[in-house]
Amino acid sequence: MQTQTVKMVITGPFNAGKTQFVRSISEIDVVSTERAISTEAERVKETTTVAMDFGRITVDDDLVLYLFGTPGQRRFDFMWEILSEGMLGFVVLVDSARPETFREAKSILETFRAYAPTPYVVAANKQDMADAWQIDDLRIALRLEDGIKMLPCVATDRESVKNILLELLYAILEEMDEEEAGK
Amino acid sequence: MKGNLRDFSGTQILNLVSLAKKTGTLGVERREGRAALVFQEGKLVYAAIGDADGSLASVLARDGRISKEQAAALAKRAERTGDKQLGLLLIQKGYVSQADIIKSIKKHALSAVNQFASWKEGQFAFEPDRPPDGNRITVPLDLENIIIQIARVQKRDAELEEEIPSLDVHLRFVERPNVSLRDLQLSKDEWRVLKFIKPENSIRMIAKSLGMTDRQIRRVIGSLREAGLVELVQARRREPLSSEERKQKRALVGRLINHLQGIGAE
Repeated sequence: MQTQTVKMVITGPFNAGKTQFVRSISEIDVVSTERAISTEAERVKETTTVAMDFGRITVDDDLVLYLFGTPGQRRFDFMWEILSEGMLGFVVLVDSARPETFREAKSILETFRAYAPTPYVVAANKQDMADAWQIDDLRIALRLEDGIKMLPCVATDRESVKNILLELLYAILEEMDEEEAGK
Repeated sequence: MKGNLRDFSGTQILNLVSLAKKTGTLGVERREGRAALVFQEGKLVYAAIGDADGSLASVLARDGRISKEQAAALAKRAERTGDKQLGLLLIQKGYVSQADIIKSIKKHALSAVNQFASWKEGQFAFEPDRPPDGNRITVPLDLENIIIQIARVQKRDAELEEEIPSLDVHLRFVERPNVSLRDLQLSKDEWRVLKFIKPENSIRMIAKSLGMTDRQIRRVIGSLREAGLVELVQARRREPLSSEERKQKRALVGRLINHLQGIGAE
């Protein structure tokens, strides 16, 4: 029996928690293409993704969901368009506790929207941190349109990650309903 | 000092000239035209860029203080007498004041510097001690504040390119029931753009209709977004699914949902 594969992309600025997000839900150890960080300014962590993170969720013998985490650093953005081809939808992860990254998150969101008109959700990650911005404030800061879901997220918590992916799937169904209604 | 703007930005060169208090002429040659910026001890005193030469007649015409026809006639006179004599004559006749002349020249020089700073390519060479061509009126302009302002604008332009990476997106008005557009104080360009905001018009189409460059339209859209008046709408370009494809996709998404809901429930 031929296995059908579907893809979701997890994107967002540098250090938003994309690799952790994929790691929390993937049934396999996440295949990460990482390198040690070379610049002092970015040394908030030891390594960074240079090509992609790759995780898998096997639904059935004939259906597999792949999660692709994009590199966050701008100099690897040539990978974004490649990774976005054929995706079912995408998640934009934002570090709720680092407002200096909100503009970058918005830019990445607009870039991915231009690549592919697929549904997406925005996950406000690190909501467990004391400095995390509240969802409502984040929505205004990112100038998100009303119809776009913004969801609380803690990427280290599997249930939280699961919920984000479910909401993306619900958004896909909702869009299909709207398209049918519009016919 | 010579090189290409590909390797040294315009602001870097201006900074160098200002810090080193250089005197002379910076000439720039590019396919689209040339420029000559003249400095005296690090201050800009004269500028000619593209079609906008720094002659008094053309500067006053561009600033709207005299008509093009008057400028053409005065330019002929200036060839014989020079700009300084021409300026004195215009002041004596009451056409302009000295303050008007200085203001117009500064405005022209500022515009020239801003244009120069935006060039990404062009062969430049600095000729020390070379004064401006012809008998021109020179007005010293401090570069420090100009450079800071240009750097700010360039940074904002770079941010806008990131915020609006594609001009093939559409715009819509943000619903703000308590705000009437009539009460807003917007610039002329902002009003012009607002009139074109319709679901079928992409930003690129609006820019083309209004004769705006990519940079200009991004700045205007950026302001309107900052003010919360408009938002970007991604135009859907997907091929519509057949009913069979829709059915299959629904089933697929349904299976994914069921499986995910079961994770952690075991």
